[in-house]
Formats: sequence, structure tokens, C-alpha cells
Amino acid sequence: MRRAGAPSEIARLTAPIVALLDWAWQRMHWWVALMALLYALSGITIVKPDEVAVVLRWGRLVGDTPALQQHGPGLLFAFPRPIDEVVRVQVKHVWEVPVSTLAPASAFAKDYTNMGQDTLNPLTQGYALTGDQNIVQADMVARYRVSDPAEWAFYGPKAEDVLRVEVTAAMVRSLGEMGVDRVLSDGRKTLVALATRRAQIGLDASHSGLELSSLELTRLAPPPALVSDFDAVQSTFIDAQTLQNEAQAYAQSAIPQAQADADAAIQSAHADADSELATAQGDASAFRALEREYRANPTVIRERLYRDAIEKAIGSAAVRWVPPPPGGNYHGFRVSISPPRAGERPRRSTPPTSEDEDDEDERGTPP
Amino acid sequence: MVDAMKAQRWLRGVVGTIALSAIVFSATTVVVREGQAVLITRFGRPLRAATQPGLHWKLPWPIDGAITLDMRRRVYETGQAEMLTRDKKNVIARTFVVWRIGDPLTFTQAIGNEAGAEDKLDGLLTNAAIGTLGGHDLSALVSTDPSDLQMDQIESELLASTAPLALRSYGVNVEQVRLERLALPEENVTAVFDQMRAERRQFAAKYQAEGQQEASKIRSQADLDAAEIRAKGTEEQARIRGESAAQVAKIYADAHRIDPELYRFTRSLDSLTKLVTGNTSLILRTDSEPFSLLEGKDKK
Repeated sequence: MRRAGAPSEIARLTAPIVALLDWAWQRMHWWVALMALLYALSGITIVKPDEVAVVLRWGRLVGDTPALQQHGPGLLFAFPRPIDEVVRVQVKHVWEVPVSTLAPASAFAKDYTNMGQDTLNPLTQGYALTGDQNIVQADMVARYRVSDPAEWAFYGPKAEDVLRVEVTAAMVRSLGEMGVDRVLSDGRKTLVALATRRAQIGLDASHSGLELSSLELTRLAPPPALVSDFDAVQSTFIDAQTLQNEAQAYAQSAIPQAQADADAAIQSAHADADSELATAQGDASAFRALEREYRANPTVIRERLYRDAIEKAIGSAAVRWVPPPPGGNYHGFRVSISPPRAGERPRRSTPPTSEDEDDEDERGTPP
Repeated sequence: MVDAMKAQRWLRGVVGTIALSAIVFSATTVVVREGQAVLITRFGRPLRAATQPGLHWKLPWPIDGAITLDMRRRVYETGQAEMLTRDKKNVIARTFVVWRIGDPLTFTQAIGNEAGAEDKLDGLLTNAAIGTLGGHDLSALVSTDPSDLQMDQIESELLASTAPLALRSYGVNVEQVRLERLALPEENVTAVFDQMRAERRQFAAKYQAEGQQEASKIRSQADLDAAEIRAKGTEEQARIRGESAAQVAKIYADAHRIDPELYRFTRSLDSLTKLVTGNTSLILRTDSEPFSLLEGKDKK
């Protein structure tokens, strides 16, 4: 009774449900089968070209090594939920996040420059100290991508948070090791490389699963209140360079000029020497020829030479004739010479000489 | 007809069994996902923490409950706090921590949620920073001399003074403590600005002086070099002239040595023709050669 009664009671209670199920099954069994099939296939996932997928089975990561955990682009067969969960991560995409923790707050910066206030509020104004305790302000852009999808997806801190603090800390520390003049000039590349390396070490230490592809320093400058002082140094430096360049240019022209002068002097000396030598040789050979003639015929040659010379001398000089004194006796004959402006008046000189030779402008008259 | 009835009954049994076991399974197991931990409570009292990802057993509701905790690492930045270094310099420092729940049981009991943890960490870190920086000079933080810098040491000191306490008291695993920012109090910045300005002026003066010095050095060196080159040229010129004069003299001497008397004669004739030019007036007696011819006289 009890054995028969109990099932029949349950059967009586469940009869409408069973009837409903039977009715539904008879009407829609194809649909139900289709739904079941679709559910069974719902774990199959398409992994896109820039993605990597990892599979969680009952919440646990499938695979022991990263290579086995990660599935590349393509079709991925997995069980439906709640057995498997496929997590897809974009690993090729490079994300960009601005890091402005060390930059002046734009609104405040405007106020400060307008007011010309000579200080910075550390709570509103970002800045960092350099190794020589100068203040600089930096604006950065960090570019990153996911390098370890599983770590990033399940254990890593929020990418933007961790990047902001790691990049800031790395930059603060790197700036704190270098002098202001270095970071503002040729040390900038070194600074960025150092900060990038430090930030990456930090990202690895915090198990972020992120890779810093690049760190760009979009702005690195002294505070606005000091920009003019830094610019002045820069322009002085350029002026000093210009001064040196001008001196170099002067040196580069002065030395060739001196060389040219020296060369010209030497050349002219050579030329003079050559011509003097030639003249001397000509004179010498002329003299030798003359001497040969002279030896053969001394009197005639001597006479000819003497007459040639006298002719030449007299021919070139201004000749005035003074008629001989009466009687042809020149004894006591005087010729007075005066400059032409002294007039025509003749003068007489007293000392009686037999011969007068003078080379002055003359006016000779007989006494 | 009977077969169809049988098949339907069998199917009904299979579906029923699957449904029933699914219900039982979901009631007695809990899935711990990667990056999570599940705290299993019995009648509301925390019993144990399932930290390994995967399936874990539990008794069905209402006996056991499950609280899911996020085990991801988190970054927390402290506020900016003013502190004193060992060399009595005021600095404003900000640190950040990378932390995660280390002990879910302690964490849930002591703090309960993330915001609470951050409150506790802030106080802990600020105290640690004040203590640690008080033991170091400012040059340990910023210096151009690498031997002064002690950042690694400071950060490990900070970690050592916070991590054990945080784990023991709050169940928080502090994995990293780092100095994020270093600044100066507003009133000290003015002094730094003045110092920077003075330094800039010094640099400007130095560059100017160096530039001028260098330029005048270059110029005077060039002048010196040029003078040296010219002097060498003049010297060479004099040498050439001297040599040539010697040669010329030798040539003349060699020639004239043949007949010195003739040389003297020709030389005096040359002198005569050279001395008597167009500006010379000669006053000659007509009874001398060759003008004696004019008077019809014979020569003497």
C-alpha cells in the first residue's frame, strides 16, 4: 500500500509537468536538439589576427607553460561554459597613455605665468628635481602592449595605473641622477633610455604583463618663470660660438694670406735674382768680348770708348755754347751761373781758374 | 507504440538525471577563477580560503557560502606628505605600492574591501617614508654623484618596514614600495628658483668669457702663425737676394779680373754717362777735344 501509494502520489503530482514535457517534446524535439547542439558548440571561438587567447577550464588556466597556454589566431575548440572560458587578449596593438604627472597643470600654469609668481605648488604642479637640485617639468607619452596575456588578464594591475606610476617613478629617479644642463641638452636620449629601462624593470616587478614599447618625452623644460634665464644662457652660448667661428674664419684667411705674401716675396726675390744674374752674365761676357778686342787693339778701342762716352754724355746734357774770350786765352775767364728767376743780370766770380765744370742751370756770358 | 513509450521513458530518465546532477554539482562545488580567491564560509563564518584556481568542494547552501575575492595586483599612490631628511631638508614625497590580497581570511576579517586596505596602506606608508627618509640625506635621493644615491636601499627599507606588518595585520601582500615623486614645499621653491637663476647667470658669464678668450686665442695664434710665415718668407727672400748678389759679384769679379785697368776705365766711362743726364749743364772750353775742331785747331 505504502510502496504503491507513494509513487502514485508523486506520479499524480508530476503528471501535469510530465504531460507538458511530453507535449513539448513531441512538438519541438528538433528545436530542443538543435539548441543542445548549439550549446555544445558554443565554446568554439574565433581568435582574431592581432589576438591571443587563453582557456580557463573550471577557472584554471589550461597549459603549464606560456607557449601551451596561448593560442594564436584561428579557430579555437573549447568546451562550453561553465566548463571552459576563453579569454582573448589583443597583444599586437600598441596602446598609448599620456603621463602628465610631472607636467605643469595647464590651467594653473597659465595663472602662474600671468602672475609671474616665483614658486610652484607641489600639489597642483607636476615637476621633478634633477641631480643638481634644479626643477624641471616633463610631459610624457608611454606606448605599451601586452606581452604576457595571462598575467595581464588575471593578475596584473590596471595598465593605465601601473604605467603612470612606474613611468613617473622611473623618470623622477633618472632625472635625480643627472644634472639639469645634461638633461636639457645632449643627455636627453640617455635620460629617456634610462627611464624606459627602469620603467620596464618596474613593470616586470609588478607582474603587469606589459611591455613598454616606447617612452616619449614630449616636453622637458625648466619652469615657465625660469625659461627666459635658460634661453639667455643658450643665446650667450651661441654668441660665444659665433665669436669663435669668426675667429676661426679670420685664422683661416689670415694664414693663407700670409703664405701668399711670403710666396710672393720669395717669387720676386727669385725673379730679381734671375734677372740680375742674367744681366751680370751679359755684362761679363760683353766685358770679355771687349777685353779680347782691347788686347788686340788697345789704343783704338780706348779712344772709341772714350769718344762714345763723351758723345753720349754731351749729347744727353743741355749744351750752351760760350764763345771763347778774345784772344782765345781762357786764363782768368769767368762764367757766372745763377738760377733763371734771378734775372738776366750776369755775375762774376773772382777766383781765376782755367777750367770750369759745373752742373747747375747756367747762364754764361763773357766778361 | 510500446517501443516509443519505452524510448520516451528512457530519455526522460536521462534528462532528469543530468538536470539533477547539474543542480547537485553546482550546489556543492565552487569554481575559483584565475586571479580570484574564494572564501568559503560556514553559516556566515569564514572557514577557509580556496586560492588555487579550479574546482573546490563546499557544502550546499545554506550551510556553506562563498565570497569571491579579487586577487589581482593593485597600485595605490599615497598622498603627498611633507617630511624631513637627515640633513634637515623639507621634501614632499609620494610613494606607491603594488599590493594584492595575501591572506584572504585576514584581509576579509581585518579590512573587508579595497578602499579600506588603501586607507590602512596610506598611513603605513607615510609613516614608513617619514622614518626612512629621516635616515637619509637629500643627496641619497637626488645627486649627480652616483655614489651618493641610495634609492634602491631606501625602497627596500620602505618595503621591509611595511610588508611584514601589512601581511600580518591586514592580510595585504605588499610586493613593491617605490618612491614615485619628490618635490619641495612651496616656500622652498622660491629659493631654488633664485639659486637656479644665479647659476644660469654664472653659466652665461662663463660662456661669454670662454668664448671671448677662445676667440682671441684663435686670433692671436693666427696672427702669430701668419707673422711667422711672413718672417720665413722674408728670410728666404733675403737669402735668395744674398746668394744672387754673391753670384753676381763673383761673375763680375771673374770677368774683371782679366783686365782690372780696362774695367776701371769702362766703369768710369759708365759713371760719366750715367751722371750726365738731360738736367745736366756742361760748360766746356772749346779748346778742348772734340770742340777744338770748331775753332779749327788741332787737338793738344
